Parts: sequence; C-alpha cells; structure tokens
Amino acid sequence: MHKLIAAMTGLGVWAAAAANAMTPGGIAMQPANSALAEEVHFFHNIVLMPVITGISLFVLALLIWVVIRYNAKANPEPRKFSHNTLVEVIWTAGPILILLFIAIFSFDLLYKEGVQPDGKQVVVEADGATTEFVFANDFSEGRMISRPDHLQVILADAAGERVLKRRSDYRVAGLGDAEVTVTFNTPPSAGDRVIIRGGRSIDNRGDIVLAPSVTLKVTGNQWNWTYTYPDYGDIEYFSNMLPDDQVSDLMLRKLEVDNRVLVPVGETVRVIVTASDVIHSWAMPAFAIKIDAVPGRINETWFKADREGVYYGQCSEICGIKHSFMPIAVEVVSREAFCGWVRDKQTEFGLERTPEELAAEPLCGDAGAVRMADAAAAAAR
Amino acid sequence: MADAHVAHGSDDHADHKPSFFVRWFFSTNHKDIGTLYLIFAILAGIIGGAMSGLMRMELMEPGVTFLTTFMGERDIDAASNFYNVLITYHGLIMIFFMVMPAMIGGFGNWFVPIMIGAPDMAFPRMNNISFWLYGASGVLITLSLFAPGYGSNIGFGGGWVLYPPLSSLKGSPGPAMDLLILSLHLAGASSILGAINFITTIFNMRAPGMTLHKMPLFVWSVLVTAFLLVLSLPVLAGAITMLLTDRNFGTSFFDAAGGGDPILYQHLFWFFGHPEVYILILPGFGIISHIVSTFSKKPIFGYLGMAYAMVAIGFVGFIVWAHHMYTVGLSVNMKAYFVAATMVIAVPTGIKIFSWIATMWGGSITFKTPMLWAVGFIFLFTVGGVTGVVLANAGIDHYMHDTYYVVAHFHYVLSLGAVFAIFAGWYYWFSKMTGKEYREWLGALHFWVMFVGVNLIFFPQHFLGLQGMPRRYIDYPEAFAHWNYVSTMGYGVTILGMVVFAICMFDAFFIYRKKAAANPWGEGATTLEWTLPSPPPFHQFNELPRFDKGDAKAF
Repeated sequence: MHKLIAAMTGLGVWAAAAANAMTPGGIAMQPANSALAEEVHFFHNIVLMPVITGISLFVLALLIWVVIRYNAKANPEPRKFSHNTLVEVIWTAGPILILLFIAIFSFDLLYKEGVQPDGKQVVVEADGATTEFVFANDFSEGRMISRPDHLQVILADAAGERVLKRRSDYRVAGLGDAEVTVTFNTPPSAGDRVIIRGGRSIDNRGDIVLAPSVTLKVTGNQWNWTYTYPDYGDIEYFSNMLPDDQVSDLMLRKLEVDNRVLVPVGETVRVIVTASDVIHSWAMPAFAIKIDAVPGRINETWFKADREGVYYGQCSEICGIKHSFMPIAVEVVSREAFCGWVRDKQTEFGLERTPEELAAEPLCGDAGAVRMADAAAAAAR
Repeated sequence: MADAHVAHGSDDHADHKPSFFVRWFFSTNHKDIGTLYLIFAILAGIIGGAMSGLMRMELMEPGVTFLTTFMGERDIDAASNFYNVLITYHGLIMIFFMVMPAMIGGFGNWFVPIMIGAPDMAFPRMNNISFWLYGASGVLITLSLFAPGYGSNIGFGGGWVLYPPLSSLKGSPGPAMDLLILSLHLAGASSILGAINFITTIFNMRAPGMTLHKMPLFVWSVLVTAFLLVLSLPVLAGAITMLLTDRNFGTSFFDAAGGGDPILYQHLFWFFGHPEVYILILPGFGIISHIVSTFSKKPIFGYLGMAYAMVAIGFVGFIVWAHHMYTVGLSVNMKAYFVAATMVIAVPTGIKIFSWIATMWGGSITFKTPMLWAVGFIFLFTVGGVTGVVLANAGIDHYMHDTYYVVAHFHYVLSLGAVFAIFAGWYYWFSKMTGKEYREWLGALHFWVMFVGVNLIFFPQHFLGLQGMPRRYIDYPEAFAHWNYVSTMGYGVTILGMVVFAICMFDAFFIYRKKAAANPWGEGATTLEWTLPSPPPFHQFNELPRFDKGDAKAF
C-alpha cells in the first residue's frame, strides 16, 4: 500500500503518463482521449448508469416494502389475487420503452464506431476575389453529402489561426449532386486558406471525421505485438513488455513496453489487426476500442486521438501462458514529432525510399501540413 | 434405514429397496439418481470453489506471488499456466459438473416426477446411464487436469470456451485438450439423454387432468431447459468433434492455413453457449417461483405469464449468441441485430422479476431460510441483469469486452443467481429429501454470511472492469490492487459462509436429527411433493393423484 501511495504521488514523467490510464482504487472508466470514447463515456455514465441504478433501486425498494408491509406479523391474512392485467401490461410496456430509449443512443454510437470515417477535405488558397469554391461529391453509394451539416467550412489565416465559418457566412448549392458549390457572402482575404470538409462521418461534437490518413498494422504474437507502418516503407518492429526490474515506476508495471507504437495526434488512424499464431485482442481503453487479432483474418478499426501522451492497453483475449504479459502502449505525438520519428526509423532500419515514395507519404510527404489530395481539382475551377 | 422403514407404515409393502450396491450403482429410481446427482454436484462444487480460492489468493496482491508456491519459486511460466488451468477448469466444473447436475439432475430428477404425479421418470434405465456418463465425464476431466497440455505443463489453460487455435495443436499440443473434449462429449451425451427423458416424462406422465397449464412452474422450467439442452448440445458436440479431428486427423475446420476459420468455432460454441446460460438459470427461476409462493402463502402471480416468459427467454436465447463476439470483427449491421435481439430478453426477465414481487405483494410472508435465499436471488439477479443490458450494447462492449465487468456480470447472474437458487432449493426441499430438519438459525446465518461474501467478491469487480482490467490475468498493474484485495477478502467471507453451511448440514444429520413433517411449510406449499411423507417412499403414487375433478390446481 505504501509503495502504491508513493507511486501515486510521484511527479516523474511516468506518473504523469499514468494519469492517462487507470487510477488506484478507481471505480470509473479510464479517461477518454477521443470524441468516440467521450461518447462511450456519455452513453455509459449519463444514459445507462442512471437507468440501471434506478431499476436496481426500484426493485430493492419494492422488496423492502414487501418485507416490511407484508411479513406475517404485519399482514397475518394473505390476499389471494393472482392476476392484474393493468400492472402486467405496465411492466411489459415499461421495460420496452426503456430499452427503446437506450437503443437510440446505442445504435448511434455503434454505427459511429463501426463505419470507417470517409470524410475528406479540400484546401484552396484564396486570392481575395473568388467567392465560389467547389467540393467534389465523389463519395461511394449512400455516403454522398446531402445535408448542410455534412459540410464544414474553415478559414485558416497565414498565422495558422483557424475559424469555423457559420452557415450564415456562406451558401451551399448542389447538395446530393456530383459537385457541391460553396459561395461565401464576402470573399476570403488573399493568402487565407479555405478548408472545406465534407462527409457523413460526423462525431458527437458535430465535426466531420476525415478518412484515415495513416494505417497501422498490428500483429498479435505469443507473446508480443508487431507494429507495421505500410505507408512508410513497412517500418516494422516488435513491442515487448518491459520486465518488472526495468520499470522505474510501479504504476506502469505490466503496462510499459520496450518499443511503443507512435501515432499522430488529431489524425484518423486506421488500425488493421491480425495474428500470427493464436487469437489475441488489441485493446485501448482510452480510445474505447478493442478488436480481436485472429490468425487468417484481418480486422479493422480506427481511432482519432485528441491529446498527446502515452496510453496503455492489455491483450484482451486469452492467448496462453504469457497472456497477462503483452501490454499495448500507444504514444500519441504531434505530426512533426511523428514524421521525425518515421524518418529516424526509416534510417535505422535502412529502408530505401525513392524521392517519389517519400513525397507521396501521408502527413510526412510533400503535401506537408495540409492534405492537398483534392486541391488541384478544386483549384482548376 | 430401519427408522425410515417403520416411518413409512402402510407404504412399506411397496418399498422393496434393493441392496446397497444395486440401489446406488444400478439405480433406476429417480429419487436415488437425483441424490447421486446432488452428491456429484456438491463434490464438484467443492473442487470448483477451491479452484476459485487459489485464483483469489493469487490475485490478492499484484505480482505472481502465490501460485509459485506450488510451482517452484521462480517459475512464473508454470504458475501462469496453472492459473490459466484454474480459470478454465473452474468454469467448466462449475457449469457442467456443479450447476447443471444440481438443478436438472438433482432437483429435476427428484421433483419433476413427483410434482406431476408420476411414479418415476419415463426411462428409468436411461436415467441411470445419464448419471454414469456424467461420472465417466468427471473422470475424463480429472485426467485432463493432470495430462500434458502446453510444453511440460499439465492441463489445458485456454478458458472454458476452448477457442482454437489456442485449443488446437498449435496452442495446446498435449492430450489434456483431447481428454477435455471427450469429457464434454460424455457430459453432453448425458445431458441430451436426460433432456429426452424429461421431455418424455413431462409430456406423457402427468397425473390425470394435469394439463400443461396446470403444471407447476418448476416443471415448466425443466421442460424449457430440456428443450434448450436437446437443441444446443449437439451443436457443441459438433464443434468440439471438429476440434478433435483438427487436432488428430489433419482436418482444418478452424485452421485458416487450411481454409478453415477460427471464428466458425466461436459461432458454433456460442450457439450452444448462450442457451447454456439459460439452461443454468431457468430451473432456478422455477425453484424461486415455488419458494416465493409458498412463503407468501399466495398463489404465484401471473402463472401463464411466468411460464411463457420462460418459453420466450428460451426461444430468444437461441438467437443472440454473437453478443459474446462483438470484438471478433463482425459487420456493423450484424452487431446491430444482436444488440436488438439481446435487449429483447430483458422484457420477459423483467416480467419474471416483477411477478415474483407481485406474488409477495399482499402475502403473509414468513422469512424462513429458503425465502431469504429467494429474496436475495431476486435482487442480485436484477443487478446481474441490468449489467447485462449494459453489455448488450456493442458500442459499450468494445470497452467492456473481456474485462472484469463481464466477470462481475456473469457471476451476479450465475454465482449469485443460479447458486442462490440452488441453495434456496436445497433448504426448501432438504426436509423432503432427507426426512430431517436443519436448524433455522444456522441456515439463516449461512445466507447472511454468504450474501455479504459474494457481494464483496463480485461488486468491486465492476469497478475493475470499468477501469479496464482484462479477465484471465494472473498479474496486474498496481492501480488494480485495491479492489482485487477487497474481492479476495470477500472470498474469505464466502468460505466462512460455506463453513457455516457444512456445520448446518453436519448438525442436521448427526446432532439435531429432528424428523421432518410431510409438509413443514404449511398452507402455502401446495405442490404434490408436500402430500408425500418426508422422505417420500421408495416408490410413490401407486394410486395416481387426480386433477380432473373440481378446480384442483397443481401449483
């Protein structure tokens, strides 16, 4: 216990990192680090907990009342009824209504999690005169943007300050058609960048979640993880649990690894998961995701981290003797730090990359700070 | 025996009890077979309970500290294997060798024929082979525990679900897994034969005039359970047979490298596994209904609703299996279906909870030991049920899956639900089965100690799960230490409760030795077993009770 308290009050980097994970004696979910995880928290803490607590207490109250009021002393003569259609209808319909209420939130959350985000953005440099900007509505069947909230318009000035424009600042035409036109009431000033985001992947903050920019491949092995970055010339390495005698902070015993997995903050990361031997499960409570690593199958999930820091998870499908000893440590860093790390790893592993390949790398290639995938098409107008 | 002989008086000329060996080993008598099942279940319960003790001792504090005592100081791997073996066999033993034999084999055999006014089961010899297949199955699982599994380690340590490839040659090459498969084959065959026996008995041997809608609810619960067994166990048998041929004969049903799919096994397993959890709890529902009605001195509220709620639970139980598999990579639409179907089960379950309370409402309740267990059951099953509603939501389950939240949930419905129902039934029918009474205060003390103990074990596990602690872990970060410690303390209290139980039973048999009346519970106990002496004669109902005259009711 003393060791525990000492660890809690420790001020090192490690202890700070631990604040992202579980808390000693904690009774609630781990802190959320994504919009999706926040919604999971909302659904559990705000929707489900009051409902299930209420039902349990209601049943408890009824039982206590029955014990007090209808024990043999208080009520020597039992009544003999055995039917009451009205209450039977009530206790059938009541739960149905409660479940429908839960289902509203449940399905919304499930589809947000289960459908890979496919939002995209167009970035155009304003010339100070143009008011009309075009967004190609080239989404797949059933995913085309058709409502005003499927579109977000952002202005970024030269200093990088971003402002989300209100819908009254611009008009939108062509929703549901192949091309959507955004017309500003006043032309954006020259040098500003006009960022138009579109898509149906809208998170609980109303933001459009962009399609994944980075892919992380996770392979579960007995008993460690292999992480691969196919976008960057297949940087690939193992991640093993640090043995107890190498962990400086007790709090992170059984959680810290030798090689963490790095991801950029604020970017949608596609995670594809498989296994080389038996089934494992890649779990990251801070992002509220958990996906099985199954040999012979490729599973897919995604996350978009809000904050930088180190976050921990543990293998969540029994996989043999060292099942308890193959933790997951994700380090969320800035895009710049991520790209720097990518370059270091490419050098370290001696990965030969042509200039074209380097230029085409997502986030770290020529496109640089903003993704310009559709910029050319838009600028042509 | 001589005492009992005299006590039966006029029934005795029909009471040709065979010699000891013939009576207990070749038994075709439903009550004797029921007794054998109960003894079997008690033995299995002691073993399974001891295993959970070893697990809780290990988890009391962080670090692999306890199981190494058995495995050599520094051999963490051997200790980890032992831990995995413990969680696997604890689950299998408690499910297949404790709850099922106690509820269906034990209470079902004892009381289904009596409650419907039948002299015995429809196929008495098949009943005998059902039990002895269970015995053989028990031998095989014990052998499996000591056979080589992975490397030089003994036993299979992959969880009771036996997922390949961890259970195929790749993950567990030794014969432990093969023995386990054969053990489950025999247990399954036993249960299928037993289920056929119950279905035939209940459909054909009810007393004249006892229509299905006059049948006691315990009989209803066993009938539904028997159908679940007959429909689900063959699927398990198929799955584990495919696993067996994968392991031994070069097939690759579940091996992706040979064109198979490990997820196929999970679908097959849970197509059995989900009905299985209702198999474990439905007879408990029946028992609780009788006890609540008896001690409230009131007929059961909403009898038909109660019966058909069980039928509904049984039916829906077959179409919700993939809610155990939300993280395996199902498509989002499939998950959405299983979320919806799973939540539907809350409705008939709610009907049962409220109907029990309504049965008590307006009653004149005496809180004898069985009633304490029943009321405890109703509340704790509610708590376990609502956390089930939480887990039903796939969006949340991506966080909760395979954490201690799940462990807490299913122990609330099984350990605190099914087991409380078994204890309720045990105290309710103890005098009927043995002809002796137990001391009321000892039974009540057993309840209260155990009520505190099991809640202390399992309630903190919700916190651990919310904090993200995965299940089946031998060691954990320090942050999880607090609630694990509390949970282990709860195990200590529970063991104390079991000691009280042992004392209560020893006392009843050897010290108190009070002879029980035919109906110790009074006017509220209306089913047929209370019309017979305690214990009932070796053969009952030489003259069938009749329900076809007047408005006689059997419940």
